[in-house]
Amino acid sequence: MQPPPPPTAVVADDERLMREQIVDRLKEAWPELVIVGEASNGREAVALVQDLEPDVVFLDISMPGMDGIQAARAVAGKVHVVFVTAHDQYAISAFEQGAIDYVLKPAVPERLATTCERLRARLKHEPDPMNDLLAQLSQRLGAGGVKPREYLRWVQASVGANIRMIPTSDILFFRAEDKYTRVQTPTFEALIRKPIKALIDELDPDEFWQIHRATVVRVDAVEQVSRNFRGNQFVHVKGRDEKLEVSRTFNHLFKQM
Amino acid sequence: MSTDQQKPVPDAADRAASDPAARPMGIGQAFREIRKGIVVMWWAFFDWVAVVSWKALLVVLPLVLILGGGVLKLPTLTFVLIVTSLIVKVVAGGKRRAEVAANQAIIRADTEQLERSLLEARMEALQAQIEPHFLFNTLASIDQLIQTDPPRASKMQQSLIRYLRSAMPQMRDGKRPTLGQQVGLSSAFLEIMSVRMEGRLQPVVSVPEGLKSAVFPSMMLQTLVENAIKHGLEPKPEGGRLEISAEIVDGQLAVHVIDNGMGFVPKAEGGVGLANVRERLKALYNGRAELIIGVPPGGGTSATIKVPYEVAPVPV
Repeated sequence: MQPPPPPTAVVADDERLMREQIVDRLKEAWPELVIVGEASNGREAVALVQDLEPDVVFLDISMPGMDGIQAARAVAGKVHVVFVTAHDQYAISAFEQGAIDYVLKPAVPERLATTCERLRARLKHEPDPMNDLLAQLSQRLGAGGVKPREYLRWVQASVGANIRMIPTSDILFFRAEDKYTRVQTPTFEALIRKPIKALIDELDPDEFWQIHRATVVRVDAVEQVSRNFRGNQFVHVKGRDEKLEVSRTFNHLFKQM
Repeated sequence: MSTDQQKPVPDAADRAASDPAARPMGIGQAFREIRKGIVVMWWAFFDWVAVVSWKALLVVLPLVLILGGGVLKLPTLTFVLIVTSLIVKVVAGGKRRAEVAANQAIIRADTEQLERSLLEARMEALQAQIEPHFLFNTLASIDQLIQTDPPRASKMQQSLIRYLRSAMPQMRDGKRPTLGQQVGLSSAFLEIMSVRMEGRLQPVVSVPEGLKSAVFPSMMLQTLVENAIKHGLEPKPEGGRLEISAEIVDGQLAVHVIDNGMGFVPKAEGGVGLANVRERLKALYNGRAELIIGVPPGGGTSATIKVPYEVAPVPV
């Protein structure tokens, strides 16, 4: 009878020193294990797993491009996964409830030996698809999962010849002017190409109100609203002289409470 | 005025009687005590008259008239007292009230200043937090280098010590931080990160020697550097360049951190770090400093902090 082929593994970490460390210590803890490939990011790891079909993959959680959790999702069910992490409260508590093992960096030989022992036992079974656990992890770590709707927090605008990122909390109002949209802050103005119509969809409706076809104002920047003899409303913005007209469609925004 | 003079006398006598230690007091000393008492009472009276409203004064004066002229039978003294009060009121009232208002304003300003610096201290402590991730990963790298390349392990450990010495709030000496210290701290951090990230991080530090004595708030440069690595270069598989530079622009000290990494994501929360820098600049410089985020011509992110240029006092 032929002896079974030796178990194989792929190690993925974006830092070479960390890969070396895992590989070195695995050699001591589990001499029969053959390291068939090393990857420096999630995408490489997934490709290696698909090509080499190892029994185990050691995945660092934070890696560029595709992180460890995303990589695990891509190869779930095909290979036994062990996560490697330096410090992640959430992740560790999730691992402790689930079937997946983890290694803390720096890898302590005794701890790694326990992991290897558990892996030897698990190799007799099919790899766990880990659906629930991975979904839970992505949610907790904010990786690859479905995120709540995000609004614009910064506006990229030209000021003279330079491009600046302006935090939305600094902006008093946006106003359509010819081909451009003017971005007004307390200290300067800038121009962007995005029209008001497209902008309003990306801004947080609790932070910015459209008051006119051509004007969007930050609610916190409104000092007062006045009315002329014809009943038109005008918004006065803190620290600015100009009055912004409120068109009738948006009059309801400033109805008296 | 003699009522004023009589009053402190029983006072001093009382004290002398009740306090045996004060009994062997010479005549000269007693006299000085009395004079001090009178001066204090005069000023208390003066202050009261100067600040009290005319209405209150006009209510009190007839009472004094009845009490002094009618009951105590001291018409001359009462008359002198009333005339003095009126003169003091007319001459000193406005000035005194302005003085009191000014004092209150100073106290208020002091409180505001105190509140601002308290807020700033709290935010600085927040900003100064050392990331556990960074610490554990660095220790793991040192652990590996000890096995494979001990001299490099030792060098990296020294960088870590230099970083911790200036990054830990308890280790700061309480003096105003200089740009030189802040650049030193970030250079130590960059040395560690370039060992870990190898070719993926190319740091360049070009800060003129002459600007290193300039006052620059703590941990702000480090926040920009950490952001550039975390959001700009680490997520980019091939990595890139990170440059720290400083210059004087229109009398202001401008410190730049420029990377050619992933670039700024407009929908990202913007990081607590940057918001914190902004708030701290507001608290420290009250509108005379700013944080500017931009996009350099080749892509990536540029972050600039501008503060008033000021040279730190040389320690004696």
